[in-house]
Amino acid sequence: MNDKKKIVLAEDNSTLSLLLKFKLTKEGYDVFVAEDGKKAIEFIEEHNPVLILTDIMMPFVSGLEVISHVRNKLNLQTPIIVFSAAGQEEMVLKAFNLGANDFMAKPFSPNELVIRVKRLIG
Amino acid sequence: MNKFLYFIDSLKEEPLLIQIVWLLSFVLFVIIIISIIYLKFLRTHLRLNDKIAEKYKNEYEANLITYLYSENEEGLISSEQQSIIKQLKNGAINKFKREIIISTLLKLLNEISGEMADSIQNLYYQTALNNYAVAKLKSGNWYFITEGIRELKLFRVKDAHKDVEKHVNHSKSEVRKEVQLYLVNLFSFKGLNFLNDLKTPLSEWDQIQLLEELQKFDDQEIPDITLWLKSENDYVVIFALKLAKIYNQFGMKEILLELLNHESERVRLELIPVLNHLYIVEAKEVLKSNFSERSREEQIEFLKLLENLGDENDEHFILQHIYNNDFEIRLSALKILKNINLSKFENLELTKPEAEFVEMVKFIKNN
Repeated sequence: MNDKKKIVLAEDNSTLSLLLKFKLTKEGYDVFVAEDGKKAIEFIEEHNPVLILTDIMMPFVSGLEVISHVRNKLNLQTPIIVFSAAGQEEMVLKAFNLGANDFMAKPFSPNELVIRVKRLIG
Repeated sequence: MNKFLYFIDSLKEEPLLIQIVWLLSFVLFVIIIISIIYLKFLRTHLRLNDKIAEKYKNEYEANLITYLYSENEEGLISSEQQSIIKQLKNGAINKFKREIIISTLLKLLNEISGEMADSIQNLYYQTALNNYAVAKLKSGNWYFITEGIRELKLFRVKDAHKDVEKHVNHSKSEVRKEVQLYLVNLFSFKGLNFLNDLKTPLSEWDQIQLLEELQKFDDQEIPDITLWLKSENDYVVIFALKLAKIYNQFGMKEILLELLNHESERVRLELIPVLNHLYIVEAKEVLKSNFSERSREEQIEFLKLLENLGDENDEHFILQHIYNNDFEIRLSALKILKNINLSKFENLELTKPEAEFVEMVKFIKNN
């Protein structure tokens, strides 16, 4: 049985998601990559991850909608880290109001992300 | 076949207009058929191209990630990295593949920082992609030049600066803007040296972008702006005035005062608010001495300066203008008088009983 901690990563930049998947897998996590918010919600419902990493701007369903779905519809307290681009400060505030736990502004260091992930889920 | 010949024969007997309509219908029919075939071919071709691009994108993404994670413990280039460099270098010979490689590198470079971002820039060098960007600078097409400079800026290729600087006075403003952003983005305040050679306009938008770039740097020590304040290019002088204001260049006082006699009214108009901001009170006497010779806009700007820097020594001058024919000048003069001599201002209502004047005094008194 796979006892690795599961992480759902919602990111529409395929190169970045590939890099983060590689990095987090190397750190011993099981990473499910969703290229949009809709897919991310499906993964969250299916795999019940211990952590969710989500970009704010994504096609179909945005990162804010993903957070809202997790907190209000699924009633889960899974930690959520949000990625935002420069100039999206208002979006970040909305994300925190909806229940996000942490945020990282792009461009960010993947090494720093791993430290934050470990701090949240060990 | 007989039917067709019969149709042609009967058409020949028809009036000319009917014949033309038939002919046009036939031509249109042929054009539509050709267009449908062409669009079908184009769509297939584009879809095929997309598929090929997707295939290469996936391949190069995987290569890039492998490259980033296969560094030696000593930080040297590993054999795996060498093989990826070789593969990408070969791929880059083809223009189509080269564009995919560059967009893949940029896609990640825009999203991450730190050591990995440095590694991506290093990979750009190792694969000699910078040579292709530099080659674009020699193109006769301004669009390619712009594209090349932008790429060199994004990958922070500093050693191409001499090739980039050659385009500082390019006839296309798009090229000039990229040159300026490249130099400032990569060389901070030192990059502003292009102003020494600038012979072309520097638009307001370009100036805003440059100032925004400059504010991103930790080191905010500005170089000597004397040369730019004395430039023959009015746009450079105006930009230097903005620098003087933002970076509080009090040391430039003498040169700023000299600029009060600059031949360009636009420069003089930009200058007065700077003098006001820097509290250069010496400007007052210069401006007072030839007030009537200056344009209306300059006079208004000067009075705005006096609203901030005026004192009792300016009272005599102000009293000469409280009955000025120009409404804005009159209003400003009254405001200044209220600031420097309140009791005289309060007695003004009695001196000139015209309704409009009394209304103005009352308005200023209450605001």
